[in-house]
Amino acid sequence: MTASQWHESFARTLVEHGVAPGEARRLADDSTEEAQAANMHPADLFGPATAYAATMARAARPAPLQSLTRTRGPVVLRLTGVTKRYRRHEVLRGVDLTLRAGEVAAVVGANGCGKSTLLDICAGATKATSGRVERSARIGYAPQQRGVAPYLTPDEHFRLFGAVHGMAARRAVATGAHLASGLGWLPRPGIVAGQLSGGTQQKLNVVLGELNRPDLILLDEPYQGFDQDSYLDLWTQVYAWRDAGAGVLVVTHLLHDLDRVDHVLELKATEDR
Amino acid sequence: MLWTIAGTSMREITRRRAALLLVIALPLAFYAARADMQGQAIRFLALGVGWAVATLALFSHVGSRHLDRRLAVVGASPTALLLGRQLALIGMGLTLAGGYLALVAATQDVARLWAVGLLLATTVIIAAPLGAVVSLVLPRELEGALALLAVMATQMIADPEGTLAKALPMWSTRELTAYAVDPVGDDVLRSGLLHFAVVALLCACGAWAAAVVRLRPQTLPTPVNP
Repeated sequence: MTASQWHESFARTLVEHGVAPGEARRLADDSTEEAQAANMHPADLFGPATAYAATMARAARPAPLQSLTRTRGPVVLRLTGVTKRYRRHEVLRGVDLTLRAGEVAAVVGANGCGKSTLLDICAGATKATSGRVERSARIGYAPQQRGVAPYLTPDEHFRLFGAVHGMAARRAVATGAHLASGLGWLPRPGIVAGQLSGGTQQKLNVVLGELNRPDLILLDEPYQGFDQDSYLDLWTQVYAWRDAGAGVLVVTHLLHDLDRVDHVLELKATEDR
Repeated sequence: MLWTIAGTSMREITRRRAALLLVIALPLAFYAARADMQGQAIRFLALGVGWAVATLALFSHVGSRHLDRRLAVVGASPTALLLGRQLALIGMGLTLAGGYLALVAATQDVARLWAVGLLLATTVIIAAPLGAVVSLVLPRELEGALALLAVMATQMIADPEGTLAKALPMWSTRELTAYAVDPVGDDVLRSGLLHFAVVALLCACGAWAAAVVRLRPQTLPTPVNP
């Protein structure tokens, strides 16, 4: 790769990670000049263009809502003795959880222990066999799979979900683009969701779950397909939503960052009980 | 919200270029196969339009099921979701019907050309909710496509005067074709329109009931804060 190809690749990747095109060009120029001053090839000085761009994009992004002081608000989700049974197969037994505005809860457990079923119950997509589920009316919901339409562009998704939330089309698109930039993604017009990478589709999925600034955000393994930086961005966003006063319930099977959440609800597979 | 759903649904369909080409080609193939017999050609054309629109509706509703469920959970009305998608499908079907009406006008000397337009339109208006009903009762593409195949193929081969043909959804298409092409009285038009009205109402109500049952989220109380 020549120095100019490195320069182009670096600038393009910065834009893909949500950096404004003008700022991306300036960063690329600065990096190239720095390499020239050191009489080195940019790749030797900074490493691969895509990896360096991802790091720089993350550093260039303003930290969201840092000035907010976290306060715990009213209960946004309360589960009392929630049980789910499919015929004779018991998936969930006696699940209790109280989540307040300004708190994050993580639902952890092995595959097949009912994490996604619990999230569906919280959303209202599935009915609990017994127990009581209370939750705020304004929710954001990002299911694990098939949460986006493969033949619609991100902007069309924003307009569709915005219409459901009573938002004007222009505001929905602007809000979606802003939320996407927090995850290091700049939606490009004309590209349908089916043509996006798995990680970018997942970012779209997460953004749609937060479009209406809900009181309760339900995320089902939202990091699937994410690279390391996107994974960190996601948790930054989760804590920003929390600090802005939302309650966040995250289904995960990764145990990183659990020391920072307020509640950890561990589900056990039926055979483990 | 209704028009946004209809608009996005229309875009989704138009981006499936290959499927759209097949939807256009199916009635054309039926029409061309019987072009020498005016009545048969128009009847098969209309059934082809109906089959294509019903299949399009089936795949559209099956493909959007998970997204619609998500939209319903965050506040979209199942009725609006169904109506929006149906508006897009009927709009697309009527456009297709308009094109084929022009083809019939250009290639056939039909006694009542306006009735050809009527029978194509009524076929589309039945086909779109019919595909929705099948998609909501059999929510997998293969099963749904086979069910539609069974219904449409039986409609084509059943004796039009028999009870079986009258019990099938597209019998009105046959009656209205006879009115458009043959020297028959207004009673044929009336019986065709009556059958159409009953079937369209049943399909619309069935699709609506199934959409509400499948998409309506649980009603959950808001937490009481002490």
